[in-house]
Amino acid sequence: MSSVNTTGPAPYIYSSTRMRVRKSKLIQHDEYMRMLNMSLPEIIRSIEETEYKAEIDELASSFSGIDLIEVGLSWNLAKEFQNVLGIMPGVIKKFTASYQQHWDIYNVLTILRGKTQGVRAGKIKEVLIPAGSLDRVFLDRLLAEDSPERIVEGLSSWSLYPVLEREFPAAMEKGTFGDLENELFKEYYHYVLKQTNSGVAGGKPFRDYLKLEIDLLNIKTVIRLFKGKAHVDVRNLMVEGGGISVDELVRLAASESMDEILEGIKKRYPEGPIGELMEEADKTMPLHEMENALTRVMLDQMDRISKRYPFSICPTLVYLKRKRYEVANLRAIARGKESGLPGEKIAEFLVV
Amino acid sequence: MAVETMTIEVAQASAIGFKAIGAGLAVGLAGMGTGLAQLGIGGAAVGATAENKEMFGLALLFTVIPETVVIFGLVIALLLLF
Repeated sequence: MSSVNTTGPAPYIYSSTRMRVRKSKLIQHDEYMRMLNMSLPEIIRSIEETEYKAEIDELASSFSGIDLIEVGLSWNLAKEFQNVLGIMPGVIKKFTASYQQHWDIYNVLTILRGKTQGVRAGKIKEVLIPAGSLDRVFLDRLLAEDSPERIVEGLSSWSLYPVLEREFPAAMEKGTFGDLENELFKEYYHYVLKQTNSGVAGGKPFRDYLKLEIDLLNIKTVIRLFKGKAHVDVRNLMVEGGGISVDELVRLAASESMDEILEGIKKRYPEGPIGELMEEADKTMPLHEMENALTRVMLDQMDRISKRYPFSICPTLVYLKRKRYEVANLRAIARGKESGLPGEKIAEFLVV
Repeated sequence: MAVETMTIEVAQASAIGFKAIGAGLAVGLAGMGTGLAQLGIGGAAVGATAENKEMFGLALLFTVIPETVVIFGLVIALLLLF
């Protein structure tokens, strides 16, 4: 691809159009609502009629029921994201790849967690989503390692390795990878924010969006800590680089009541979708509903930016995000149905 | 007298030359305009067709719409020359 001239607006027009067409093929709200009234085999058949046909057909002989859906969705997601990276020209590819690195964090931590808990390599492999810079072959090599220490050593060429190397001993000592995950995500956001200055079209609006994403992530953490009545060092859990400073977030986390937290967020975002959400939300709102509402706000905001900058990096990233939530929704429906939950209850967990 | 004849001949030749330059500019600039318009439409058309083969006919139609601009240029050029 490097030999192809990828300057000017044409690469953005080409990639944005492809992503817009793909976005239009994503499962719509009505279809989700129909699925809520279906049984698990009917859901599989319904999914098979969409973009997931190839994976479901291929895996149908090895898996069945919920496993078929889970593995099929993961395969499709990984294939789709790798495909998107493959068709992106020049600077857009570089930027998309760096944004997709959060999948690397997910995969590495899944392997580490699985290995420390003695889960079989084959079982871990089923839930990996090789959509980032670490491909399937590389992840297979990591899975073949015996100990977590060897896995970390095998990641020495990974861009986030310095953080992993620094935090890994403490994580092993504590027996939990929560703090390590936090540190990796902090570094990831720091890196992606830096990449928005790399001259990619739409970099600046995307930086604004990333700040919002970081804010919402921090807000979710604050609300989770409050609802879970956890007493931990809040400062360490906050990701820097958002619109709300870490000091402000620490103050918010120390609030006496939920109303105080919502009021604090509303003060920072008096207008727009977040302000409206804080207006509507009350302290009795369950955590998952609040989190879903915040995710919806995030997606809506991203949609708005991509419409304002139609030929930039933004439509590509919107599609990647929407696709990710489509898979999460289908998984939620399938899992909910498997557990025998009523449709209305499952609908609360969907991001549509 | 000879100088006057020369001047008329030169002026006539210049007029033909300027017409030719005008005709060339009309087609050339219109062609560049068409090219610029097709840059965007063509990129989008290829992208859309790559995702959905049924889009080919419509995408081709959209891509050729800016061709009208170069035809306008061509008409002006022909009017200038003939």
